[in-house]
Amino acid sequence: MTYTFTTNDFLLMVQGAGITFLLTIIAGVIGTFMGFLVGWARTTKNAVFYYSLGAYVDIIRSIPLIIQFVLFNSFMAIAGYPMDPFISGIITLSIYISGYVAEVVKAGIESVPDVTRKAARGLGMTYYQDFFYVVVPIGMRTVFPSWTGLMLGLMKDTSLIAVLGATPPELLRSSQIIINRIQEPLMILLGAGAFYFIMCYVITHFAGRYEKIWQQKRQAAL
Amino acid sequence: MIEIQEVHKSFGSLKVLKGIDLTVEKGEVVCLIGASGSGKSTLLLCINALESINSGKIIVDGIDVHAPQTNQDQLRRKLGIIFQQFNAFPHLTAQQNVALAPRKVLKTPTKYAQALAQEHLAKVGLGDKLDRYPAQLSGGQQQRLAIARALAMEPDYLLLDEVTSALDPELVGEVLDTLRMLAEDGMTMIAVTHEIPFAREVADRVAFFHQGVIHEIGPAKELINNPQQQRTKEFLGNIL
Repeated sequence: MTYTFTTNDFLLMVQGAGITFLLTIIAGVIGTFMGFLVGWARTTKNAVFYYSLGAYVDIIRSIPLIIQFVLFNSFMAIAGYPMDPFISGIITLSIYISGYVAEVVKAGIESVPDVTRKAARGLGMTYYQDFFYVVVPIGMRTVFPSWTGLMLGLMKDTSLIAVLGATPPELLRSSQIIINRIQEPLMILLGAGAFYFIMCYVITHFAGRYEKIWQQKRQAAL
Repeated sequence: MIEIQEVHKSFGSLKVLKGIDLTVEKGEVVCLIGASGSGKSTLLLCINALESINSGKIIVDGIDVHAPQTNQDQLRRKLGIIFQQFNAFPHLTAQQNVALAPRKVLKTPTKYAQALAQEHLAKVGLGDKLDRYPAQLSGGQQQRLAIARALAMEPDYLLLDEVTSALDPELVGEVLDTLRMLAEDGMTMIAVTHEIPFAREVADRVAFFHQGVIHEIGPAKELINNPQQQRTKEFLGNIL
């Protein structure tokens, strides 16, 4: 009896791709929000924030994600709060990406020249008005490509959630399930790669469009 | 009226201002001249509380600028400041640049703020550049945009920090013309400048800064044409 690639296998991969996309979106949104706060707090002149959150960022960025998945999941279980692997995976991914986003946000904020901020404050704007109407829009345009890169990386990192055996399986895990059954690793991995590529392309495409709009605004025909 | 009394300011161990006394009346134009690093620009930043002071007092219309209970954000609306470096908000058009602070700080409805922006941009000769982004403007135009942006808050005072120093020589004139116009309108200005002929023509008084103190101060024409102090003579001799 030969095992072949069935419609159900294809649907499993589509579902996996959907899970991957969902994980990316959820962890991306939560992680970006957390990273924004952490990065922002590190640019204030508060030394406690600067060093404690600096340690947070360093630790997160220095430990392999796969270890963080296992440690967090086990820790919660040992602490008496066993979690669904899927949920604990999302939390770990969010925390993980927040460390990287924090550094990007910090760089973005610091890219805005001091004199521009002084000019804003000189007009009577408060710290928060300056921050939200001047610093964020300017800094965001500067670091948007870096942030996009982080999100693409995050999408591929979601595959590591497999280490927890989270269900439903994301794209890579779905592919492995099919490979185990039909023993056609090359074809299936090629297909999975194509799925990843398409999803990343969607993100890159929309990010690119945003950047173009900003650029056109600045360089509109004289 | 701006009253500056015995103001001292240090950055770490570097003493920048060593006891400045200066009173500027409403409608007066005072130019601050002197070598780089003599503390002129720092004084401007201290006047509108963008820098703190170590001792002394700065009083603007009866309000002690550096007193803890003073709302400095509110105070700065009175004190427009324009810097040497171009600092238009790059993500906004000229009109949006000017309208931003009135909209957010004074809560002026967007429509009125835009009209206000249009009016002030026209005043500085940028009436046809409303929709341009700063990157599409020349240095002189960007500085005039900065002036319009400050004027839109209807400040009682303008603090000018070497506003022509970063400009190509052929663009200096247009910015000075704008300032001349403001002086004629009776705007109170404290201007740090290296444009001595401009100071002589427009300023009521000129103060010569040297190593953190006002070394000599007097009516503009007198001080520039006939300085009394040796240091002032040397400085003017070098620069003219």
